[in-house]
Amino acid sequence: MENFSDKLLPLLSQAEKPSRYTGGEWNAVKKTHPVRARFCLCFPDIYEIGMSNLGMQILYSEINSYDDFACERCYAPAEDMAALMRSHGVPLLSLESATPVRDFDVVGFSVQFELLYTGVLYMLDLAGIPFRAEDRGEEYPILLAGGPCAVNPEPFADFFDCIVIGEGEGVDSAVLSLVAEGREKGWSKREILRRAKEITGVYVPSMSEKGEKVVKAVYPDFENAPYPLRPVVANTEAVHDRAVIELYRGCASGCRFCQAGFYYRPIRERSPEKCAAQAKEIVKNAGYGEIAMCSLSTGDYSGLYPLMDGLRDFVHENKVNLSLPSLRLSSFSGDIAQESRRSSLTFAPEAGTQRLRDVINKNVTDAEIDNIARAFEAGYDSVKLYFMLGLPTETDEDIAGIAAICARLRELYFKARGRRGPNISVSCAVFIPKPCTPFQWEAQISFEEMLRKQNYLRGLLRRIKGVTFSWHGAESSVLEAALARGDRRLSRVIERAYALGAKFDSWSEKFDWDAWRQAFADCGADMDRYTGAIDTSAELPWDFIDTGVSKRYLLAQRELAYKGVTTHSCREGCNGCGANKLGRCTII
Amino acid sequence: MIVLRYSRLGTRRFVSHIDVLRDFARIMRRADIPVNYSGGFNPHALLFFSPPTPVGVGSEAEYAAIDTALSAEETLARFNSAVGADGRASAAYEVSRNPNLAGRISAADYVFPFPAEAYDFSRGLELEYVKKGERVKESAGDRILAVGERGELLALTLASGNVTLRADRVFDALRRELGSAADVSDVLKTEQYVMADGALTSVPDYLSSSCREKK
Repeated sequence: MENFSDKLLPLLSQAEKPSRYTGGEWNAVKKTHPVRARFCLCFPDIYEIGMSNLGMQILYSEINSYDDFACERCYAPAEDMAALMRSHGVPLLSLESATPVRDFDVVGFSVQFELLYTGVLYMLDLAGIPFRAEDRGEEYPILLAGGPCAVNPEPFADFFDCIVIGEGEGVDSAVLSLVAEGREKGWSKREILRRAKEITGVYVPSMSEKGEKVVKAVYPDFENAPYPLRPVVANTEAVHDRAVIELYRGCASGCRFCQAGFYYRPIRERSPEKCAAQAKEIVKNAGYGEIAMCSLSTGDYSGLYPLMDGLRDFVHENKVNLSLPSLRLSSFSGDIAQESRRSSLTFAPEAGTQRLRDVINKNVTDAEIDNIARAFEAGYDSVKLYFMLGLPTETDEDIAGIAAICARLRELYFKARGRRGPNISVSCAVFIPKPCTPFQWEAQISFEEMLRKQNYLRGLLRRIKGVTFSWHGAESSVLEAALARGDRRLSRVIERAYALGAKFDSWSEKFDWDAWRQAFADCGADMDRYTGAIDTSAELPWDFIDTGVSKRYLLAQRELAYKGVTTHSCREGCNGCGANKLGRCTII
Repeated sequence: MIVLRYSRLGTRRFVSHIDVLRDFARIMRRADIPVNYSGGFNPHALLFFSPPTPVGVGSEAEYAAIDTALSAEETLARFNSAVGADGRASAAYEVSRNPNLAGRISAADYVFPFPAEAYDFSRGLELEYVKKGERVKESAGDRILAVGERGELLALTLASGNVTLRADRVFDALRRELGSAADVSDVLKTEQYVMADGALTSVPDYLSSSCREKK
């Protein structure tokens, strides 16, 4: 095999941030002994983003824990490096051994969200791998996809040989094992895929039949699931450079817009003892100065106090910071805030009025918002608030409610501290109807309406001192919605957009709206059709996926939304969504 | 306080100085080297470094002062257990106070991937590079302090510190002059010097003059 590390070296000196491409990180696994099969884990965005992804670290450490398998990594090179690689005839290489990605047995992509779809094509292009599964013969690796976007894999289904629906632990390695066996026994790719299809959670687009269901994979023993205790430490500052412990999967809150909250059910908690032990081990092995708790709603974790007790001495002795992201207002408590450094608190009320919060089932009351006063008393000076514009049934009154919350917080701050004002940062996303949520049938507001609402809110917030306002691009929100609920026809659109120059769509400065509009037009696909309302009786492209949560439950939740009736947290009793048929909900 | 002499070889040479600084705090923690912290609102580990080496240029003579109560031997052993082969330390020196290498270092030795006699430095050397989007032309002038050889290769002592001449820019200028295909990653920093009593003194000598070297 050609030695590409020699060819790579002269490019590194010319590349911006060459340490993105060198590998050799602390805790990276470089296997030199022969293995049965090799897996290349790809992330369709640049190194600093991909290295912050917990899923990548989990799968990397799981596959490498098997002596006879090797897992290597590859991240999308930035455009300067890609140009250098092209001009010097260097294909996309893995970090660990500088092996061309196309020479691996299995190439797995982590698809975290819709705006990364062109990133997949960008990497395949650099790797010299044809985009469509049907164009790839036996000489090419098996291409696998996984991650949150697999909840509706249809827009990118044509690019992959198999797609893992649900949790990758145990599934990716099962596919790899099958590929190894197939190689040893001389099976064709088709034969391997035929067998892979039998693995729970594996969807083989080329062999799907009408009416066939694919059941989401759920790792059976979350407490003892594979976990990266020796995470790879990034060479250059990653977006999140810290020890991460995963407290639980799923979410008890049932916010009706939230895909992750429904998709990752059943809810499974890890014991605080285990989490604390893992945190200590990771800090010891990686040297991180910060521990972050990862879950969909950390404040709701039932073991939060015992966990913090278990880490208190450790973080003081080792001068490690404990950070608490993603707090829900209702679970905020002053003593928790005391534990971490007094900088900024983040809350997500999502909507400005009680009425709209009831519609989306964000069980946060005005009284709870007043709870932020306790944070001010505890010494916090700045608050970050997340909202969404364009939620179903939203009126201008709801938007004015956002400004009213900011004004109220200022008032509370003066009462608590009696001087200057707090820093309030308001960040507004645009509502995107996503598959596997009660709002999956909803229309997204029009592009013009997005701009109008953003301007209206900006005008209101301008009148309140100390508030900074940021918002998501309307164009990329439209695209995200179209791709999220797309069908197989969109694979042609994605290909066309890539051909027209679209890539790194999640980077606002790189986002090429014209290319995407052109691509939809060239392929005769109507973007409005994908972002508009869908009849509840219509068949949905992702209906064949069984996430555990029944369509009947989602419809019932939708009805409740329109009535403005909330559903209590799963912690107060089972709501019967159906997910526990795939695994026991550990909070009941 | 302990000063480590460590290397940045292999792929490590592509890690920027700022990333090395960040990495050191992690290395200290995983090596279990207890470092004293500054006081105040944002306490940080008391770690002090020699001036940055450009990205891509290798080095076998980087220095970091660590405010720790551990012995030199123990610091060296623990450090080397927590870094990859490309970043290992080769020596540790115990000093009574922070030697302020960042402020005091005034020169560094480099070996270049060109034959020792390849260029006549009496002609002077014109540098050309892009700085903040602007093309800059300047003369290396008196910032090339000495010309010599190591093995068959060209060795230069360049100003480093407050007055500095970047080795990667010298490399680019020489490559252009000589029409060479060599890569900047073949440049190696081999020693650093401080000005003591009016003479360039290598960092090991400087540190040893006030304390015994412990290897």
